[in-house]
Amino acid sequence: MTAPGGYLTISVALFCIGLYGLVQRRSLIAMLIALELMLAAASLNVVALTALTAGAQHLAVTRQIGVGHGSSVGQVVALILIGVAAAEAAIALSLFVAIQRYASTINVEDLSELKG
Amino acid sequence: MTWAAAVFWLSGAIALAGAVLAVGLRNIFHNILGFALALVGVAGLFLSLGSDFLAVVLILVYVGALAIAMVYAVMLSYPLDTKPEPRSVPKVLGAAALAMLVAAALYVVVLSARFQPAAGPPETSARWVGYRLLRDYVLAFELISVLLVVAMIGAVMVARKARMPKEALKPTPRMVG
Repeated sequence: MTAPGGYLTISVALFCIGLYGLVQRRSLIAMLIALELMLAAASLNVVALTALTAGAQHLAVTRQIGVGHGSSVGQVVALILIGVAAAEAAIALSLFVAIQRYASTINVEDLSELKG
Repeated sequence: MTWAAAVFWLSGAIALAGAVLAVGLRNIFHNILGFALALVGVAGLFLSLGSDFLAVVLILVYVGALAIAMVYAVMLSYPLDTKPEPRSVPKVLGAAALAMLVAAALYVVVLSARFQPAAGPPETSARWVGYRLLRDYVLAFELISVLLVVAMIGAVMVARKARMPKEALKPTPRMVG
């Protein structure tokens, strides 16, 4: 088993590529893609850390499986994250379609009706 | 080099390459394809961690459902003659500087953290995931299903045509005749 450092490094890179896309892109769908990349990086972090490092002593799950062993709790957290991300993307994509119908654009720089 | 290490390096390269494509290309359809590639890479990383069930679910949900839904959204919301968005140099530089800054800060944290490595192999099989999901974390599991139902109904309500502006609801001559 490799140490978690490699996974954390890839996760940092994924997160920051997503951050760059979120800031630089102007299409709402491209921004959603960047946001999903950041979410995937976060769940990669959680899974790598729980699988490869010894659990914290005070957690009930550590007492169940024995101190010093990796646990599958991170996988459960990642599954829940995937579910939330799917719900979020469904709402976001339907909002984009509604915005496109209303304003004829999904470029965020043209959606400035609330600007004073 | 063990198999796990080989899978790790290959999947990491695929994930990062896909992420760069998903963010860097200017055609939105190519972005979605790059996104799918990046998620395949992340699924490979999960495989190298022994999380086979999670890897399959990730590919099913992200590549199988989410990327397809994004393609549909592009179909419904992009006029075919849309030009690729213009790129302003200061904005690109600013975004790159921000991302580099955050990456440096996070990487300092990663380097300075000391983890106690796991003594034994992790509980990796799907049996363990099911055990955790349906016994210890069953409340979160059920709440997720409620959340998904609410999100689906909400998505249908938001995207439905009844919310169009009034001019669009007037009957067109073709509908009258």
